[in-house]
Formats: sequence, C-alpha cells, structure tokens
Amino acid sequence: MNELTVSMTVNGEPRQVRVEARRTLADTLREDLGLTGTHLGCEHGVCGACTILVDGDAVRSCLMFAAQADGCDVVTIEGVAASDGTLSDVQQAMHQCHGLQCGFCTPGFVMSITALLELHPNPDQETIREYLSGNLCRCTGYQGIIAAVKVAAAAREQS
Amino acid sequence: MKPSSFTYHRFDDLADVTEALTRLGDDAKLLAGGQSLVPMMNMRLARFEHLIDIARIDELRTIERRQDHVVIGAGVRHCVVERDAVIESDVRLLHASTPLIGHFQIRSRGTIGGSLAHADPAAEQPAVAVALDASFDVVSSRGSRTIAASDFFVGLWETAMNPDEVLRAVSFPVWSGRLGVGVAEFARRHGDFAIAGSAVQIEVSENDEVVRSAIALFGMSATPHRSRSAESHVTGHQLANVDAIELGRLGVADIVDVSQDSNVSASYRRDVGAAMLAEAWRRAAADAKRRI
Amino acid sequence: MSPLEAPSGNRFVGQRVQRREDARLLTGRGRFVDDVVVPGMLHGAFLRSDFASGSITRLDVEAARALPGVVGVFTGADLNAILGETWVDYEGGPRGRPFRALAEGDVRFAGEAVVLVVASSRYIAEDACELIELDITATAPIVGLDAALAEDARPVHPEHRSNIAETVPAIENPEIDRVFATAAHVVTRTFDQHRYACVPMECRGVVSIWNPALGELEVHISTQGAHGVRGFLSRVLDVPENRVRVVMGDVGGGFGQKMFMLPDEVAVVMAGKLLGQPVKWIEDRRENLMSGQHAREDRMTVSFALDEDGRIRGVRGDLVADVGSFPAAGSSSIKFVGTVFPGPYRIPHMQYSAQAVYTNTCGRSAYRGPWLMESVVREQMMDAVAAEVGIDPLELRRRNVITDDLLPYTSATGMVYEETSIAASLEQAAAMIGYDEFRDEQRRARADGRLLGIGFGLYVEPSGLASGTMSSEAAVISIGINGKVQAVMSSGSHGQSLETTIAQVVADRLGVDVNDVTVSQGDTASAPYGPGTGGSRSAVILSGAAEAAASKLRAKVLDIAAHQLEAAVEDLQIEAGRITVAGSTTPSTTIAGVARAAYTDISALPPGAEMGLEDKARFTPSAAITWSNSCHACICEVDPRTGGVTVLRYVVSEDCGRVINPDVVEGQIAGGVAQGIGGVLLEHSAYDDQGNPLNVTFVDYLLPTAADVPTIEYGHIETPATTNPGGYKGMGEGGAIGSPPAVVNAVADAIAHLGVRPLRQPLSPMAVRALLDGAAS
Repeated sequence: MNELTVSMTVNGEPRQVRVEARRTLADTLREDLGLTGTHLGCEHGVCGACTILVDGDAVRSCLMFAAQADGCDVVTIEGVAASDGTLSDVQQAMHQCHGLQCGFCTPGFVMSITALLELHPNPDQETIREYLSGNLCRCTGYQGIIAAVKVAAAAREQS
Repeated sequence: MKPSSFTYHRFDDLADVTEALTRLGDDAKLLAGGQSLVPMMNMRLARFEHLIDIARIDELRTIERRQDHVVIGAGVRHCVVERDAVIESDVRLLHASTPLIGHFQIRSRGTIGGSLAHADPAAEQPAVAVALDASFDVVSSRGSRTIAASDFFVGLWETAMNPDEVLRAVSFPVWSGRLGVGVAEFARRHGDFAIAGSAVQIEVSENDEVVRSAIALFGMSATPHRSRSAESHVTGHQLANVDAIELGRLGVADIVDVSQDSNVSASYRRDVGAAMLAEAWRRAAADAKRRI
Repeated sequence: MSPLEAPSGNRFVGQRVQRREDARLLTGRGRFVDDVVVPGMLHGAFLRSDFASGSITRLDVEAARALPGVVGVFTGADLNAILGETWVDYEGGPRGRPFRALAEGDVRFAGEAVVLVVASSRYIAEDACELIELDITATAPIVGLDAALAEDARPVHPEHRSNIAETVPAIENPEIDRVFATAAHVVTRTFDQHRYACVPMECRGVVSIWNPALGELEVHISTQGAHGVRGFLSRVLDVPENRVRVVMGDVGGGFGQKMFMLPDEVAVVMAGKLLGQPVKWIEDRRENLMSGQHAREDRMTVSFALDEDGRIRGVRGDLVADVGSFPAAGSSSIKFVGTVFPGPYRIPHMQYSAQAVYTNTCGRSAYRGPWLMESVVREQMMDAVAAEVGIDPLELRRRNVITDDLLPYTSATGMVYEETSIAASLEQAAAMIGYDEFRDEQRRARADGRLLGIGFGLYVEPSGLASGTMSSEAAVISIGINGKVQAVMSSGSHGQSLETTIAQVVADRLGVDVNDVTVSQGDTASAPYGPGTGGSRSAVILSGAAEAAASKLRAKVLDIAAHQLEAAVEDLQIEAGRITVAGSTTPSTTIAGVARAAYTDISALPPGAEMGLEDKARFTPSAAITWSNSCHACICEVDPRTGGVTVLRYVVSEDCGRVINPDVVEGQIAGGVAQGIGGVLLEHSAYDDQGNPLNVTFVDYLLPTAADVPTIEYGHIETPATTNPGGYKGMGEGGAIGSPPAVVNAVADAIAHLGVRPLRQPLSPMAVRALLDGAAS
C-alpha cells in the first residue's frame, strides 16, 4: 500500500497523517486535514490556486507529495488571518481593492502576495506583475489584485 | 489527475541513495524539487515504482568558493541560488539567469541539479553551464567522476549520466577582471519555457576591448548551443564595434538542428534566437561598461 | 462584529460598497463543490476516447471492476438506454440536440467519456481506468468547417443526413442587391476566429446524493443555475422535480460553460442513483480543456457597400460556426449574430445567412458574449474599409455611428435602441486614449523602427435578455422579527458580486443599512425559479425583482408604521431603519419595532392587514433586450523581431445605465478585457487533422497573466434604462465582446503601413511574424 506517516506543523498546530506515498500535499491538506481553502485548479503546477507556504516559501502544493512535507512548517490560507478573525494586511487590501470575484484563485493569490512582500517589501509595478504571473485569475483581469499588493505594501511600511 | 502508486524512500546520506539506485535500477527515479517530475506523474505521463527523495541530503545543499571555482550542490534550490551572495559576486551569469526560471513558487522547490539533470532544451541553467565550461561531479555506487559541461548534454532530455548516477555538485569557474553578463529570452508569457534565449558573459579590458567571451543559446535545438563563431566574432574587438544584430545572426547561423513543431518553424526560431543573442549581448556590454 | 463592515448610511446604490462575499472567500472558507463531503461518498473518474471518431470494437471493464476499492463501472450500454428526456429548460422542449451520457458503439470526439468508474478514492478510480481494455477502430474524423461542409462529408452523427446543425437562410432582398450594384465602394473580407475555451478557474464538479428510501435526489453542483439542473435531472431521471434538490454553493467562475449540465455530469448522477450511494466527480483541468466544451470557432464573410463618403449603405454577411459534436443548448448564436451585427452604426440594409455545423470535436458552449463574432468582424471590417477607402478609422466610425438625435433608432434587423450613448462612448474612449496624440507618437515610433498600433472596439450589448425561461427573475424578501432583512434570490451568481449589489438595492429601497441585508441564492429548496446567471441579466432583471419585492415590503412597513404613528403614509420616511414623519424626529418607530408588531400583535396592525413582513416579486423588464453600449480602445506594440505583442494601454468607455457598484462594473469589464487579450494573443483550443486536441493542459492552453494585462482605464457614462425601475443595464459580457476586436485592430494598425492585415486569429508571435514576413516579400 506504500503508506507512511507524515508529521507537519500546519497553521501553527502539529498534525500527523497516515497517507499513501503518492498522495499530494494538496489532497492531504484538503481531505485528510479538512483545510479546503487550498484549491485545485490544474494539478500540474501552472495556475497557482494551490499555493501555500512551506517553511516560509510559497510553493505549489499540487506538486508536492505529503511525504515531502514531513517535518515542515506549513501555512495555508486558513492560517493567515489572526485567531480573532482580524484579516492580514494582504487580505484586507484584497478586500479594499476589489481583488476577487468568484474567489477560487484567491487563496493562492493571498499566499503568493504574502510571500512576495517578505521577499520584496516595496515592489514596483514590474516586480508585482512578474511575481503575480505565477497565479492565474479568470475573473478580475488582475486589476484589483495588483492594486492590493501596493496597498498592502504601503500598510506594512506604515506599521 | 492523480499519480499512480510508488514506494517512497528518503535518505539523509548520498551513499544510501546510490546504493538504492543501483539496487532498484530502472524502476527508481530521484525526487529533488519535483517541479518537472510531479506534473508528469500527476498526468500519468510518467510512472515509477520507487521515488527516492534527495531533498534532505546535506551534502547536496552546500555552496562553496573553492579556489577559482564556485561549487554548488545539486540539491541547492533555485531560490537559494538566486539570493546567494557568493554566486551573486562570483558567478554573475548564473545569478542573472536564475530569476528567469519559471515563477518564484517553482523556484522555491526546484533545484539547480534537477534542472541540469532534466536537461530541458529551453532551460537556462544548462546553457549557462555550457557557456562557462562548468563541470559536473557525478557519483554512483561504483565511484565518482567529473563530466565537462560540453559532454554533459547529449540529447533531448538526455545527459551523459548513467541511470545509476547522481549529480552531486556543479562547479562553475570564476572569471576575474571586468565582466559583463546578459541573459535574454523570448517566451509566450513571463515564466513560460523560452522559444529561444541566450546567455552571454564577457571579460572586457580597461579600454573596452573584449578579452574573453562565453556565448550560449538555449531553446534552439535538443541541447544548449555554445556559439564559438559568435565568441570569435567579438573576442579581441571593441565593444562599440560589435553590431549586435549581426552578432545575433552569426551566432545562430551554424546551428544545424534547429527545433521545429506545428507552432514554431525552424526559421522563426532561428530569427528569435538571433534577436535574443543580440539582446543578451547588449545587456552584457552595458553591464560591463557599468563596471570599472 | 464582522471584520468587514461596509460604510453605514442611507444610500448604497452607486457606491463602491465592499463585498460581503469576501469574508469567507479571503479566508479559505468558501464552499465550492469539491469542499462538499458527505459520509460514504465515492469518487468518479472517466476513461475517455483518445480518438476523434471511430467504432468501439472492444470494451472490457472486468479488470477495473475487480480492483479493490472499485464500487461500480458504468458504460454507455448501462446508462444511455435509461436516459429520459435530455432537453434543458431553456430549450422549452425536445429540440433534437444530440446527447448521450457516455459513448456507445462509437466515439465522436477525442475526450468523449466512454466509461465511468466509481471507487473509494479518485486515485483508485484512475487506477481502475487504466485497467480497462478499450479498442477503437478509428475512422477519418470531420475536423474544421470545410470538412464539415464538404459535399460528401460523412455525418458526425450517423442518424443525421449532414453536418448542418442549424441554418439561417438568406432572405431575398432586391433592395440590397440594388445597393450593392450602385455602391461607390464594395469591400469584402472573410474573417476566421479560432476556437477557444471558457476556462473558469474552478473546473466543473458534482456531488450526487440519491436517497433510495425517500426516492429523493440531492445534488451539489458547480453551476450557473440550480433550477435548470433540477428541471433537467428531473426529466432525465424521471424523478419528480419536487423530489430533486439542487444546491449551488460558491462557484469558481462559469462564463457559460456551467450554464447547462453536460453528459459526464449526468453520467455521475445516474451512477449515483444506480448505486444508491453518494458520488462525487470533480473534473480535472485536462478534462476541462478537452471535454468541458469549447467556444467561438467561427468564420464570417462580409461585404460592406459604401457611398463616396464612406457611409455604409448595406451589409451582406454569411457565418459558419463550428459547434463540435455534442453542443450545449444555446451555444450556437448564429441567428443572433446577424441580429446584432449592425451594432452601433447606421446600416440601412442587411442580408444575412448562417450555418452551424457538427464536427468530430468537443462540443460548443455559449461563452461570455457568445454572439460576439458580430463585433469581432464588424469592427475589423471598419478598419479594413477605412484602409481601403482611405479614411481614418476613427473618422469612418464617426461618420457611421448612431447619434443621439436619431434615437429611438430601429436597426435594419429590427433592434430598437432608446437609451444608448453610442457616439458619446466613442468620443470618450478616443479622448481618453488620446487618439490624435497617439497618431503623432506612432509616426515618430515608426521612424525609430518601432511598431505601435491603436484599435477600437465599438459595440452595443444586448443585456437583460428576457425571453423564454430568461424572461424573469424573482426575489423573496423577509424582514425578521428582530428587523433584519433576508433576500432569497433566483440567481446563480458565480463571481458577479450579487450578494453585495442586491443588498445595496434592497437596503436603499427599504431604508436600512446595507449590513442589515443578507442575500442568498442557489438552493432549489428555498430559492424561487431562476434560469441561471448569464446573459448580462442580473443588474437588469434580478435587481428589478429585488426592487419590486423590497418596494412591496416598504409599503407594508409604512402602512403599519403610519397606523402606529397616526400619520399619513406619504409623510413618512425611513432612514437607517428608523421611521419618522418627514421634518421631525418624533414620534418615530423602527423597522424592528414594526416587525415585532407584524409577527406578534395583530391588534397593532391596520385593520385587515396581513401579519408578517415577507413578500415576493417576480420581475420582467419591459423590453426583451436592454441595450448597453461601450467603446474599447487599445494601444499595443508589435516587436518586429519576434512578432510578440505587448498591450500598452487599454481604455473602456462604458454606459451601463445606473451603476449599482462601480467596483463591480469595473471588475466585470476587466475580467472580460483579459479574456479578450488572452483570446486574441494566447488562447487556442486547436486540433490536428486527426482530431487530436493539442491544448489540453495549462502548458499548452495559455491564459493571460498579470504580466499580460495592463492597467485598464475606465470612463463611465450613465444613461438610465427604461426597461426596469432602477434604470440599470447589464454589462457582464461586454468586456469580453469589445476586447477581441480592439486588440486585433491595434495589432493590425501597428503593421498596416506594411500593407498587411490579419484575417485570422490567434495573433500568436509566430502568426504576426508570418504577416510581417509576408509584407516584406
């Protein structure tokens, strides 16, 4: 059956699952841990809807097997807002800037933008577009999303 | 799109990896970043009985300056290469090419060794390795050997490594003097595989004469192309006297097996390659001029 | 207290109220169909045909059936014979549209589902699919319009005589013959638009839960309309519709692809019923790009007859549309293309004919502005005519545009425009893009060897389409005993922000805070009948229903309040939920106070009044079409070395009547514009001549990214509609209609001085280079 036990920290909590070796990290998060906020848009690493943070880096969870995340620190969209529900600056900026419509790609964008701002706290337009080009959106034409990065960066700089 | 079953192995020691590879043979595949492998497996275009995860092997994750080389462990992720200070100062062509690899999420997992071993014709790192005459440290349970970059890439997704060998490290020669680097590629969208691209590194004298050059093209054919004709065209000449467009045309003229498919004709690819070589040259020249 | 509070106040329509939907969608708490989990749920996977056409000579599923974890395996023989009627509500009855749940005997497109495996996990179901032995003897497929129309072409559907799915015959018109015979100029062109796909970010999916004990079906589905699914499944399965419950949760985009159920979804529901167990199937991206319906493959030949001054005297057009093998209902808009073709210009005479043809390819669905070939062709033709006749393309448009003094204007095809601002939107777009300055810039750039171009897409959008099942929408609004408002709508919102815009409309009408209104939809157990969200209808028709129902409730509230305050109804006003006599602050009551009385104390109500505060309205606009209009202008640069196109600037002048929420309008425009940019430059669902689909992953089917879409600039014009009390017009599809012609025209303009014009799409870098090479030789 090729099963193994995988131990990870997920959104700050230690979690343990027993999964087949071939089970993707995305499926493990969604189905074994009930964290359905991470979405599957393509399962071949292009659309970015499945983006999460692994040890602080933005990764495509559809391109990882759960086994590879053993011992890792995983953050999903459910772990972004504060425990009292206060939205992160990225989430708040997306809301303010009308950065979502159907919402399916949104978790992936929030995670990617969160990671981007760690790498480039004050990105220019070109950097923003380059770093967002790994997440696909079909509804918004990217206008609100790009604006949200700027707003979040500014908010971050002030605080 | 779910992959078929396999047995998962993870080792902390390279010796265990090579032993397992020898034992399991064709049924086994190394899993480093997985950014090329896992999509294929999800689509069931590839399947293996055994995957050997090498992402945690410390020996593969070092970056060292050793005399006049920078030695990069095959397991070093692109995002680490991208931000490494030694690479940024000593192998600037690699520093310039790494951000062009896919998207930053891919670079969080993908490794330099994975990219080189996968040997995609449109990949940047193989071309950089070929341009700089890198050497590849390869190991198996039978021992280790060094393969020169010019011998490493032998065909479409094919390297000179044997099935039981593991790429341990890549060694990039460090150039001294006043250098300029330039990378340019043309793809349908940012982050897509290049239709054609070029990597250029030059050493320039105080009075702007090209002392040394390394010019490679990628995406043009099954393996990266080292353009000696382009190099001899520029070496010994003044920067200002090099016509970039002419250089571009010259650089692609002697590529014999330019790839083509239903979307991209050979002649189109050749023209784009020429344009990219011209652009990479311009960037390298401008880069050199900025340095005193 | 929700962390996302909108601004409080009395007027919400017209404001950029931030969305209610965001709270759950930003935090990963949306409920998309793949998030639905029920106990005992099984998973489906399909084995699909690798061949475009051929006969199935062998199908052995025994090894699949025997795999541990597999619960059921279904073939065409199992399902097709027990299919009931397969027409959708929109069709109104059987229309002879080809349909089968699974292939049987033969296959008719590459990707057609042949076998459905149901197992304990998707992983195992896919393992089982690999064990199925399927042999197909391929036959030469019909691929492309020419093959379909060829004289001795084999019919894609053997039960038909030809590949003609639908015909619009040309009507004899001696007047137009005269016009063409005497015209100063006649320009004729044939335009090809390629095939592409809707590509919502969420693939299709369904969870089917059949309860054998109760004889009841509950279906969770990613759809654009829950009631359409209910009606359809009721007929297909022969289960009474009041025993079919369809639940639509959050839906990750549809764009037309999810308007009607497709065969594979039906197969899953049938399998679930046969097994008596819940079954989930989630389409994967490869399936979505290969079998999830395609769109837009059209060819149109047009001739414009013009006078000396470039005024259009008549148009002839002939369209051929490829509808694939199993088109979805309503996917072929061939008649409508002709009806809308005259668009924003004075075209006195029009003669039009069209055909829709079957091919051995994936079937067609309606995709955002499915008739848009009319704008794609007409706007390219304006530029082609301008070039040939020697008039500037903006000037040519100015000479032909329908000006306000001509309103109401009846087109040659019988369309009546009353509240449009066509000429104004053209001028606004031209001013915003800086047309004259651009021409100077273009000249300077050409001298430097740079190729810059500008293109327009001027169009009128038939919104709020109100015919057949789409004629109305409904709202059921109640004010609860604590004074809070619930609106249950007939809509199938899948990104259109209706939870927010409807709340704005209701809040304004009732005089409450927008935060005191919740809006829900999508469950046939509670929502009134709706045809599904599409056709740019929500602002017009759904808002109309919300306004009407809220008005009824307001009247009732004021009746009760007047009785309580001993005042005349006409003297009362409601502000932020407080009801006062105009001009004074006391006496007053609140909506909550009125509600409490309404539910608990009949003696507090006016004599004869009904208890409670609940009401319903179903709204039909006063015309079958509410016309909105827009003008897109695009500046692009063509790289002569690579043929690559960069969109530098993009301007949209939009008149969608009274605007409920400018963020929502702009967001809808932007999404459509991105689809147009992508459609022209990147997207392509191509087939080789063996009928093999070539673009079935995101590596090959290229969607535009944030790096491909520039910042879009918006100009708003507000000419209120008269078809609905709010004065709203729909515009949801328009962004996708104006953009393909604007982008194509910009590219064409960039290279026009070289003597070449594109007639085909997509304009990939290779295609543009080929045009440039053609010009050079």
